[in-house]
Amino acid sequence: MNPLELTLGIMTAVGGFVDISELVFAAKAGSTFGFALIWVFAFATIGIMTFSEMSGRVAAVAKQPVFNLMRHRLGLKLGLVVLAASIISNLITCAAEVGGVALVLNYLTGAPYLLLAVGLTAALVVSIWVLPFQWIERTYGLLGLFMIVFAVALVANHPPWREIAGGFVPQVPRGLSSKELLTFAYFAVAIVSAVMFPYEVYFYSSGGIEEGWTPKDLLTNRITSIVGMGLGSVLAIAILVNSAVLFTPANVDPAIPGSAALQAAIPFGKWGLILALLGMFFAVAGAAVETCLANAYSIAQFFGWRWGRHKKPWEAPRFTVTWVALFLAALAIVLTGVDVMTLVEFAVLFSILVLPLTYLPLLLLAGDAKLMRQHANGRLAKTLGWFYFAIVTLAALAALPLYLLTSGGNG
Amino acid sequence: MTPEGPLKLVSELLDLPLIDSEGCYCGIVDDLEFTGGPGKPLKLKALLVGPGAYAGRLPAWAMAVVGLVAGDRIVRVPFERVVTIGPAAYLDRPAKALGLDRSEERAGRWIPRKGAL
Repeated sequence: MNPLELTLGIMTAVGGFVDISELVFAAKAGSTFGFALIWVFAFATIGIMTFSEMSGRVAAVAKQPVFNLMRHRLGLKLGLVVLAASIISNLITCAAEVGGVALVLNYLTGAPYLLLAVGLTAALVVSIWVLPFQWIERTYGLLGLFMIVFAVALVANHPPWREIAGGFVPQVPRGLSSKELLTFAYFAVAIVSAVMFPYEVYFYSSGGIEEGWTPKDLLTNRITSIVGMGLGSVLAIAILVNSAVLFTPANVDPAIPGSAALQAAIPFGKWGLILALLGMFFAVAGAAVETCLANAYSIAQFFGWRWGRHKKPWEAPRFTVTWVALFLAALAIVLTGVDVMTLVEFAVLFSILVLPLTYLPLLLLAGDAKLMRQHANGRLAKTLGWFYFAIVTLAALAALPLYLLTSGGNG
Repeated sequence: MTPEGPLKLVSELLDLPLIDSEGCYCGIVDDLEFTGGPGKPLKLKALLVGPGAYAGRLPAWAMAVVGLVAGDRIVRVPFERVVTIGPAAYLDRPAKALGLDRSEERAGRWIPRKGAL
C-alpha cells in the first residue's frame, strides 16, 4: 500500500478533528475539566472510525457515495429534510472554518480580519479549481501535519502520564455542582458532535469514489479510517492535555483559537508558535475545503448531477457552480461580522442534530447483504454501528437543552 | 438485476441515480410513467427525470419552491434504455442522446474552460 493513499484519511481526520471547533472545545475542555474528558475523545474516535470505515466500504463495493444512496433509502421527503439540515450544518461549519483561518492569518500577519477572509476564500476557491482531487487531499492533508507540533509539545511539557492514562477511563469528576455537571455534559455532547461531524463521512465516502476505490481497496479503507482518525484524535487529545497542564494552573481561559497556539510557544518559543499557527492554518483551511466540498457533494448526489474534482470544473458544471456559491455564502456569513466562536457553537449544535439522520441510512446500507454481498457489516461493525447510533441519538436529544441550560458551555 | 426480471418499483427503482453509457451521473429516477388501463396489463413505460417529475411528490408549499428554484422540466427516459438496475440504474445511451444533459450544458456556459490541472 502506497503511504500517500492515507492522505484522504489524514485530510478527513485532521480537517475533521483539528478544525476550528476542536481547537476551541479541546482547549476549553482541558482548561475547565483537566483530563476528565479525554475518554470522550477516545470514545467518539471509535465511533467515527466505525462510520468512516462503513462509508468507505459502501463507496468501494456499491460504488456509490452516501448521499446518492441516502435518497433512495430514505425516500424523497425525509431525504430532503436530511439534505436541508446537512446544508445548513455544513454551511455554518464552513463559515466557522473560513473565519477561523482568517483569525489565524490575522495572528500571523496582523492584517485586517475581514480583508483576510475575502483573500483566503479567493485562495481556497482557486486551489480547488486548479488542483485535482488527489492533490487537494495531499496538499491540505500533509501540510496539516504541522499540527504534530502539539503532540511534540505535549511530550516537551512533561505532563503527568499516569493521570493522563486515567483520563481514558470513563468518568465524571467528583464534587461538581449541578451547574458544573451540566457544563460537563454539554462539553461531552459537543465533543462527540465535533469528532463525529457528518461532513467527514460525506467527504470521505465521496473521496473514495473520487479515487476510484473498488473492493480491492477495502484494506486501504480500513487502514485509512483507523490511522487517519487515530492521528486526528491523538492531536485533539494533545491539545486538551496541553491546555490542562499549561492553562489551568495559570488560570487562562482559552476562549479564542489563538490560545491553543501558545501550547507550542511555551516549550519551543517563536518557532513553536509559527509551526502551531501554520498547522492550524492548513488544518482549518483543509476543514473549510472539506465542509464546502462535502456540501456540494451532497447536493449534487441528491439530485443526480455530475460531480467530483477528479473531473475538470467544466465537466461537472452544476457541481462547480454549487461549491463556488457555497464558499461565497460562507464568506457572506463571515462578512456580517458574526463572532467565529458563535459560529463554532452553532456548527457543533446543528451537526449533532443531523448526526442520527446521517448515520442511520449508512448503517442500513452497509448492512444490506443484497447491496454489499459478502462485504456487508459483520457482527463487530453491526454492534458498534447500532451502539454509536444510539449514542448520537441520545446526544442529539440532549444537545439543545444542554446548550440552553449552560449558555453554550459558559456556565 | 435486469429490467426484464421482477422489480420492486419503490424500493428498487424510485430515487435511484442514473448513470449513462459513458459512466456519468445524469439524473435520478424522480418518478415513473406507466401504460395500460382498466383490464389491460400495467407496463412501465418511462423513467421521469427532473424537477417537474419530483415536485408532485412533495407537499404543495415545497412544490412551489421547487418550481421557483429549479423550474418544471421533465425528461422521459424510455424504460428500454435501462440496461441493469443495482445501486444505480445504468443506461445504454449517453446522457446527451436522451436529453439528460441540458441543465449541465446550461450551467457549463458560466464556467471558464481553463486553469484546472
